[in-house]
Amino acid sequence: MNKIPRIQEFKAPEGYFENLPDQIMSGIHPKANLGWTKWAAAAVLVLGLGFWQFGVFEPKPVELTFEEQSDLYIESQYWTAEEVLNMSEDPNAILDEIIREELAFTENIWTEEEQTWF
Amino acid sequence: MKTSDQEILTLIQDPLSREMGFRQLIQTYQKKVYHVIRRMVLIHEDADDLTQNTFIKAYHHIDRFQGHSSLFTWLYRIATNEALGFIEKKKKRFFFSIDDYQEKLESYVDQSGSLDGDQIQMKLQKALLTLPDKQRLVFHLKYQEDLTYDQMSEITGTSVGALKASYHHAVKKIELSLTRE
Repeated sequence: MNKIPRIQEFKAPEGYFENLPDQIMSGIHPKANLGWTKWAAAAVLVLGLGFWQFGVFEPKPVELTFEEQSDLYIESQYWTAEEVLNMSEDPNAILDEIIREELAFTENIWTEEEQTWF
Repeated sequence: MKTSDQEILTLIQDPLSREMGFRQLIQTYQKKVYHVIRRMVLIHEDADDLTQNTFIKAYHHIDRFQGHSSLFTWLYRIATNEALGFIEKKKKRFFFSIDDYQEKLESYVDQSGSLDGDQIQMKLQKALLTLPDKQRLVFHLKYQEDLTYDQMSEITGTSVGALKASYHHAVKKIELSLTRE
C-alpha cells in the first residue's frame, strides 16, 4: 500500500468556494429578468397595430408549411444547428439518432447498461 | 447523523428558513462534493458544472431524504452518479470524434498547472486514468477519502465484498503502473 504516494488534490481557482453558494442558489431560483422584454413586447404590439391600420402589410403570395419554413431557415443558415437542437426538448436524443442513422453498422458495438450502477 | 446535519435539516424543513438551511448545507459540503467530482472529471469547469447540478438536485429532492444515512453519503451518492453519468456521455460522444476523452484527460494532466508540474503526481494521475471509471471511483473513496466500506456501500449501492475486490484490483494495477517505468 505504501508504494502508492499520497494523491495531491487538484486546486480549485482562488475564491471559487466563496462564490459557489451564490451561484448554486441563483441556479435554483433563476431570476427571470423580464423588465425590458415587457416593454419590447408592448412596442412591437403598438408598431404592429400601426402598420396594420395603415395597410403596410401586403398579403403573402406564397404560403409555406411549417416544415418548409423550418427548412428555409436552416438552409439560409438563419438558424444554426445549435439553435435547432436547442428547440428540442432532448437535443442529445436527436444527436444520438443522427449518429445512429449515419453510422448504422456500429450500432451494436455497445452492450452497456442503460443506467449507472447505482 | 451528525448534529450539524440535524440542524441543517431542521432549518430546511421550515419554509421560512429553508433557503438559509440549504445555503448552510452548501457551505458545509461544497469542498467535499467538488473534490470527489474533480478527482473523477479532472477539469475544473466540468467539476464546477457537476457540483452545481449535484446541489440543485439535492435541493429539489431534499424532502425525500429519509435521514437513514448522513447527508454527506446522500450528497456523495448524487455527486458520484453525476460524475459517472457525465464521463459515460463524454466517452460516447468522443467515440465518434477524432479525439479521445481519455487522451483529453491525460493531456490535461500534462498541461494543467494544478499539479505544479510534480512528475510523480502526474504519473500517478495517468495511472489512475487507466482504471475503469467505477474502479477509479472506488479507489478514490477508499484511498483518498478514507471512507469505510459500509459508507462506500451506501454511496454506491454495491456490496462490501464487491467494493473490497474492486479496491484490491485498483491498488494492484496502480502499483504495477508506477513500477513499470
